[in-house]
Amino acid sequence: MKYVCVVCGYVYDPAAGDPDSGIAPGTTFENLPDDWICPICGVGKDQFEPEE
Amino acid sequence: MYNRKTIADNIFYVGVNDRQKNLFENYLPLPGGVAYNSYLIIDEKITLIDTVDASLADVYLAKIEAVLQGRAIDYLIVNHMEPDHAGSIGLLKQKYPNLQIVGNRKTFDMLNGYFGINTQLHEVKEGDTLSLGKRTLTFYMAPMVHWPEVMVAYENSDKILFSADAFGTFGTVDGDYLDACINTDKYWDEMRRYYACIVGKFGAPTQNALKKIATLDVQIICSTHGPVWKQEREKVVDLYDKWSRYEAEEEGVVIAFGSMYGHTQQLTEAVAEGITAEGIKNVVIYNVSKTDTSFILSDIFRYKGLIIGSPTYMGGIYPLIEQLLFSIEHRGIKNRLYSCFGSFTWAGAATKQLTAFAQTMGWELVGTPVENKQAVFAQKYQEGFELGQAMGQKLKSLR
Ligand SMILES: Cc1cc2nc3c(=O)[nH]c(=O)nc-3n(C[C@H](O)[C@H](O)[C@H](O)COP(=O)(O)O)c2cc1C
Ligand SMILES: [Fe+2]
Ligand SMILES: [Fe+2]
Ligand SMILES: [Zn+2]
Repeated sequence: MKYVCVVCGYVYDPAAGDPDSGIAPGTTFENLPDDWICPICGVGKDQFEPEE
Repeated sequence: MYNRKTIADNIFYVGVNDRQKNLFENYLPLPGGVAYNSYLIIDEKITLIDTVDASLADVYLAKIEAVLQGRAIDYLIVNHMEPDHAGSIGLLKQKYPNLQIVGNRKTFDMLNGYFGINTQLHEVKEGDTLSLGKRTLTFYMAPMVHWPEVMVAYENSDKILFSADAFGTFGTVDGDYLDACINTDKYWDEMRRYYACIVGKFGAPTQNALKKIATLDVQIICSTHGPVWKQEREKVVDLYDKWSRYEAEEEGVVIAFGSMYGHTQQLTEAVAEGITAEGIKNVVIYNVSKTDTSFILSDIFRYKGLIIGSPTYMGGIYPLIEQLLFSIEHRGIKNRLYSCFGSFTWAGAATKQLTAFAQTMGWELVGTPVENKQAVFAQKYQEGFELGQAMGQKLKSLR
């Protein structure tokens, strides 16, 4: 499932991952490391909500 | 031709005043105008920090030229790409074609997207330094204070923080730009309104930026709007800390009401009487049809108590109250003591929806919401008074 950053609106798409931060495509949101931060605005995972 | 007073040795203020624009971002009233600040550092490398709105580029370029007298600019530091600061980059680049633009990866994506500029770039990351000769700048990322690419620059020798929008305020710079040389009274409410409307949603990122700033010895704050803060630097940082934690500044209550034929307004009077009867002096009443939402939002950041009153309108809440609720929810304001009241004639809806707003926001509902049908008689006036008393008592219990 995709997750949205409530601060800046960035969408984490597991299919794309976050290669700039070393996150391989296919990584689920749950499996992101705890210290992963939003690549746009820098807030933590707790600021993300499942996309509706 | 213009004030050559420096902020520190060879650091010039080259900002401009906008006394014509009525609405910032085309929706926020500007009764006292706004300044777009930019700073010019003369060193071995001549360095400009941010630019100004394109509508004032002619005044701006003339100010720069008055200092430079034919010399060229080496570096342009772009702390923020919003057009109120980035608007003159294109013109500046035409006039000084050799200048290098200093920014981060996100800045450069926007620079390319807005201006098609993608060469002569100098990329900086968190903590990187840039030597200008005698002076050195260190960069810190401050994403979402107010856009994702925002960064701040710290000058090590005079301990100056070039803070982008952070610590900025509406209101022009009249005469002198230094806080110690002017009466700053007019700025405090406007600084809160600026924060509430523009940065207010981004409490968590602002806290992150403040933590970084706290590790620096900052003696002078040069933001992109309003005065240069030297004497008041601690106060402005404290205010930002409070606001970004959504902590109220003082004891008091905002009552915001909408009213078509005065019935909801009568309840407003009753509620206000109840609050002051408990010895709470700060009661600020806003008729949402008369005062722009931005001013109301600002006072909601200021005071701990909030009471909202609305008539039922077409089966829902009065439109201008709805707009206020939206802007409160959008800012994610935390920890308010809240209550509500409303009126109707055949099928009440507003009071129920306003009551549910407490849950939406995760706020404590104080007292019993009052719903009035048709004219306001003694019984409902009394209930309104008691609602105000409950709020007053709750506030007193926090003293
Ligand atoms: C205050 C403000 C907030 C913005 N928020 C976002 C945003 O959350 N996401 C986004 O992709 N762009 C955002 N933008 C960028 C605008 O959508 C973009 O600059 C757009 O081109 C502006 O259109 P306009 O020139 O018609 O106003 C924001 C711009 C401003 C001024
Ligand atoms: Fe901005
Ligand atoms: Fe700005
Ligand atoms: Zn984000």
